[in-house]
Amino acid sequence: MTIIACHDIALQFKKDSLPVLEHVDLEVQEGEFVSIIGKSGSGKTTLLQMIGGLLSPSKGSIHLLNQEITEPIDEVTYVFQKPVLLEWRTVLENVLMPLELKKRVTQEDRDKAKKVLAAVGLENQEGKYPHELSGGMMSRVTLARAFISEPKILLMDEPFSALDAMTKEQLQFELLLLTKQFSATTVFITHDITEAAFLSDRVILLGNTPANVVQEFAIPFSKPRSKELKFDPSFTEVVRELYQSIEALGDRSK
Amino acid sequence: MKMTKLYSCLIFIFTLVVWEMVVRVKEISKIILPAPTAIAANLIQHFQSGYFYPHILTTTIEVLGGFFAGAIVGIGLGFLVAQSKTTQEILQPYIIASQAMPKLALAPLLVLWFGFGYTPKIVIVALVCFFPLFESTVTGLSHVSREKLALFRSLKASRSQTLLKLRLPTAMPYIFSGLRVAVVLSVVGAVISEFIGANKGLGALIIASQGMLDTTLMFSVFILLTVKGMILYQSIHWIEVIFFKKYHYSRGDLK
Repeated sequence: MTIIACHDIALQFKKDSLPVLEHVDLEVQEGEFVSIIGKSGSGKTTLLQMIGGLLSPSKGSIHLLNQEITEPIDEVTYVFQKPVLLEWRTVLENVLMPLELKKRVTQEDRDKAKKVLAAVGLENQEGKYPHELSGGMMSRVTLARAFISEPKILLMDEPFSALDAMTKEQLQFELLLLTKQFSATTVFITHDITEAAFLSDRVILLGNTPANVVQEFAIPFSKPRSKELKFDPSFTEVVRELYQSIEALGDRSK
Repeated sequence: MKMTKLYSCLIFIFTLVVWEMVVRVKEISKIILPAPTAIAANLIQHFQSGYFYPHILTTTIEVLGGFFAGAIVGIGLGFLVAQSKTTQEILQPYIIASQAMPKLALAPLLVLWFGFGYTPKIVIVALVCFFPLFESTVTGLSHVSREKLALFRSLKASRSQTLLKLRLPTAMPYIFSGLRVAVVLSVVGAVISEFIGANKGLGALIIASQGMLDTTLMFSVFILLTVKGMILYQSIHWIEVIFFKKYHYSRGDLK
């Protein structure tokens, strides 16, 4: 079943300027994990914000779960580039935020939040405040906050870009488990091609000015994937292929 | 930490000793500069006789009355103005004008309108307190990061939810710094308004002591006013520490 369908969308910030995106078509199937890669400034974030209903396309239409998107909907959770946490709330209160905005929080919700926190490796940390956490732990809290509302669609904008390599690898691995566990369809933006290859079922390369989908790659490795996969020669081959495609775009998209 | 406190105590004691010595050695008239020991004796005497209490009470009523009135109006209007660009643009010139005008200059007029009772003094104090609170509320409510606003938007938070759960908590430290400034200013406002026309209150006592050439009493009142200001400032600080500490994440020194 097609969960996300973008048809011929374009975005132009000002009337007389060049469009940022043009003729973008993208479909994502239920349960799929799709990464969007491309050079910086290629409109990746803009596209994701449009899918999330945070921006409206100037042309074309976006359908999520068969309804046209004009504003953010409940089934979608957006994870931002920086771990955006409310400093005056504890870890638990931060995770409960999305529920709190919809209804009165119950003990059941609190138990669920603790379970989700445990799933992202934050057992017994729920009473801490964000300034007491490391960068990796903050990212974990945003993951827990993303999964608490059991989103059908997860949109992630370079969520791990600010992390050190070790933490990043660990979180990539955990993200795969979590998307599986919550069966969330995921669109993931990254500029790290290894990350894209490791996480995704499909990688979309965005390029050109104005940007559109230049190429699509199916990533052939079955899930669940082990951390060891990154050292597999066939995996390295896929990464090389992605790398060469980006390089082939040249500097035009800058 | 303890050493610094010791040093500040030493500076205090050193100043007092030098002061006392200068007054004694130079035989300065107590009308010009009374010795610290004389001031201390004066303070003790007047506290024992109960002379100070009605004056302290009067000034306290003016300060607190004006402070709360000014705080409510300042914070309230701050909320209103921060709500939308339109209200901000409409009200901004008036608010700036109301601040550019020296409020203490209004005191004679207020005495004319409201007489010599509490009202003109409370109004002056409220006017003095208003601006720092208005300013800090508007600044605080608008100082929300774009990322957090985007988060709230993506979570479909309503306007009032964004105000209560995001803007207000962000504004908290700003509002408290406004309160600390305002509370100290409110003592100034009360004293000056008592200068214009009052028969009770610490400001009135300064004028009376001037008339009686009782400089020692005047110094005693200075000390009472300073202590009053410090107590008020510290109370705001402790209220923040006890009830609102979690909103003050950015300042590690708040203990």
